[in-house]
Amino acid sequence: MSGVIRVHSKFIVNQLFRDYYASKNLDVISPSMMNKREFGFLSFDNVMIRHKSFLNKNELFSFLREFVPADAYYSCAYYENPQANMDAKGWLGADLIFDIDADHIPTPCGKTHDEWTCIGCGFSGKGITPEKCPVCGKAKFETKTWPCEVCLETAKKEATKLLDMLIQDFGLSDKEIQVFFSGHRGYHVHVESQAIRALDSVSRKEIVDYVSGLGFDVAFYGLYKGKSKKHFHSTFLNISGWRKRLVSGLLNFIFNAKAEDFKKLGIKANIGQSIFSNKDLILKTLSEKGELGLIKNVGVKTWKKIVEHIVKVQSAKIDTVVTTDIHRLIRLPGTLNSKTGLKKVGFPLSAMDDFDPFKHGIAFRKGALRVFVFSAPAFRIGSEVFGPYINQRVELPTAAAVFLVCKDRAKVVE
Amino acid sequence: MQTLTVKFTKYDLAKYPFLKETADYVRKLNFKIEDLTSPELSSILERAKERVEEAILYALVSRKLHNAEIEILSFPVAIMLTLATENSFIKKRYALAESKQTYNDMKLEPKEKILAIAQNFEWAIQKNDNDNIPYEFKLHFTDFIKNTTHLRSGKWKLVNRILYKGNVYLTRNEAARLLSEEVRRHIEKRLEAKDTPKFPPKIIELANKIKQLSIEKIGKAEMEGFPKKIVQAAFPPCIKNLYKAITSGRHLSHIGRFTLTSFLVNIGMPSENVIELFKNFSDYNERMTRYQVEHIAGERGSRTRYTTPKCDTLKTHGVCTNPDEICKKIRHPLAYYRRKSKSLPK
Repeated sequence: MSGVIRVHSKFIVNQLFRDYYASKNLDVISPSMMNKREFGFLSFDNVMIRHKSFLNKNELFSFLREFVPADAYYSCAYYENPQANMDAKGWLGADLIFDIDADHIPTPCGKTHDEWTCIGCGFSGKGITPEKCPVCGKAKFETKTWPCEVCLETAKKEATKLLDMLIQDFGLSDKEIQVFFSGHRGYHVHVESQAIRALDSVSRKEIVDYVSGLGFDVAFYGLYKGKSKKHFHSTFLNISGWRKRLVSGLLNFIFNAKAEDFKKLGIKANIGQSIFSNKDLILKTLSEKGELGLIKNVGVKTWKKIVEHIVKVQSAKIDTVVTTDIHRLIRLPGTLNSKTGLKKVGFPLSAMDDFDPFKHGIAFRKGALRVFVFSAPAFRIGSEVFGPYINQRVELPTAAAVFLVCKDRAKVVE
Repeated sequence: MQTLTVKFTKYDLAKYPFLKETADYVRKLNFKIEDLTSPELSSILERAKERVEEAILYALVSRKLHNAEIEILSFPVAIMLTLATENSFIKKRYALAESKQTYNDMKLEPKEKILAIAQNFEWAIQKNDNDNIPYEFKLHFTDFIKNTTHLRSGKWKLVNRILYKGNVYLTRNEAARLLSEEVRRHIEKRLEAKDTPKFPPKIIELANKIKQLSIEKIGKAEMEGFPKKIVQAAFPPCIKNLYKAITSGRHLSHIGRFTLTSFLVNIGMPSENVIELFKNFSDYNERMTRYQVEHIAGERGSRTRYTTPKCDTLKTHGVCTNPDEICKKIRHPLAYYRRKSKSLPK
């Protein structure tokens, strides 16, 4: 929760969190092998408590009810002594975690809902925070982010791509994979698998590179310059994994490509024209043989540009640091996110399309609160749309009011 | 998984002395470290010394299979000699040489033999039965990535492989290459042993001779460190970029801060000066910064100094920027610094 949140508002939010954790049907999921995990909690006074451990669900629940954390975390790692300090914990293994956060992904909304203010001169603006303040040139900012529907939809698409790779390429079963809405701007994917548990950070990095397409080299996909002529040997292109992804991406690109698409990739107009006029032939050889035929005027360099673009599109944009960190603390499913008052909630892989973070993530379903809103774009909670608001007093359903207060866009009024 | 159809012969055990079966065989002979210096066993000791010397001189270890018994026994003794040198260069070199030799031998073996050796290391490996995929083996991706971290060519990157339903597809030659990596890791691990026995004087004497040889062959150049003064002009592009950011108070990611700090402490900048740099940040907190910098420098906690992440890792996390010509020749920012600082006029 933001440091500048008003005292009274903070008190109200704290009370609501307390009620949430006191509920008899509290739906916090205790992680597997929980007695081997480290737990961490952030208090409403912004103090982080780490190295906690619990023997069972009851202990954990009692703690949550008593302490009422602003945020609750557990380790992806298993330890011999989860309560010891880092050097003495005795690492036994760790789940594989992926974090897909709109912060890391370019989104179609352009993040116009995010606000930044220069700490140096107070100049402020909307959208992606600049490197330097355009007025005073300093580089220190305070930012206010906003989880919009477009951001979350983009994150979901990335998660879908990731899941396809985990299942089709890495051969993981849907029993080993759990997907969650983080309660803020993204999705978490947890993989619990015996085979993966012992992998070190370096090996996990290789998995990260795979899903993000880093190190992808067309030469190993049969696309290289032969000795005497340009040569596209790509017989095995459509077998599986990245090869299959490449073929379907190429088909889609070639099928839909317009002059400006080629231009964007730095391909000359006449070469783009050659591809365009041979479109049918290219699509035919590609879909039938999984090969790029020889097209006059179109060389390896051009194909390489197109392929690299497709790799970018088909890769899953994950937070690379999270996955390679084998000691990471991650938000505990079923607990509240103090950035929004929404909860981290899981859903079956098959329900991906229907999952609605602004509906299924709601924790406070009863009552209403009067708030003074400083400024907020239009937003939806459940099936109702609220705002936009600017400097006005409104009564909102609890979930919507808490959402604004947690995002520091409003304060609770008497 | 297929069952083992191959039984290792004594000849195999001599050729692949790291196999579990070889260890069992040696155990049955029940010989002790003290026996080594007896005249009857001098040929074993002699051969063991030769193994390590060959490793230093040629980065290979010949196979003398006409006397399998001596060959088998000389391997654990060579490990002991290498341990006794207490020299990390010789240890790495010996592990490398044995693994290179293994690769040369293995690539000529039939499929079944390779499978049997792989299963000895508990690899999840199978013959490929999918006719559409032109490879001989399929290997679970976890075994693949554990053994490719040191391999530089793009062909070993998972993203450039056929990965289907959890398996990576391999040619026989590739399987042999990865197995040799496994062998290298296996031997390096054995050479990490901390609680070594007290070696007899004869062993110490031989170990000293081996050390002498390594200094003659390799020279001291390899052991040379960094220049005494910090040479900013020799920073690699990634570090230059981070350094510029920190001095102008621009936000740095966690990994960026870690990279810069570990780089600076490793090239000899005192912790105090590093802490000073962080003062430009809006979120500067002296106590916290001091704790973290001193931790990375190995002055606190586990007392091990953290090394800078290698180039590969920096690429993954987007810290690598504007690589130049020298970057193509190195894999580690510290190697860049060592190389460039030597080439600059003093």
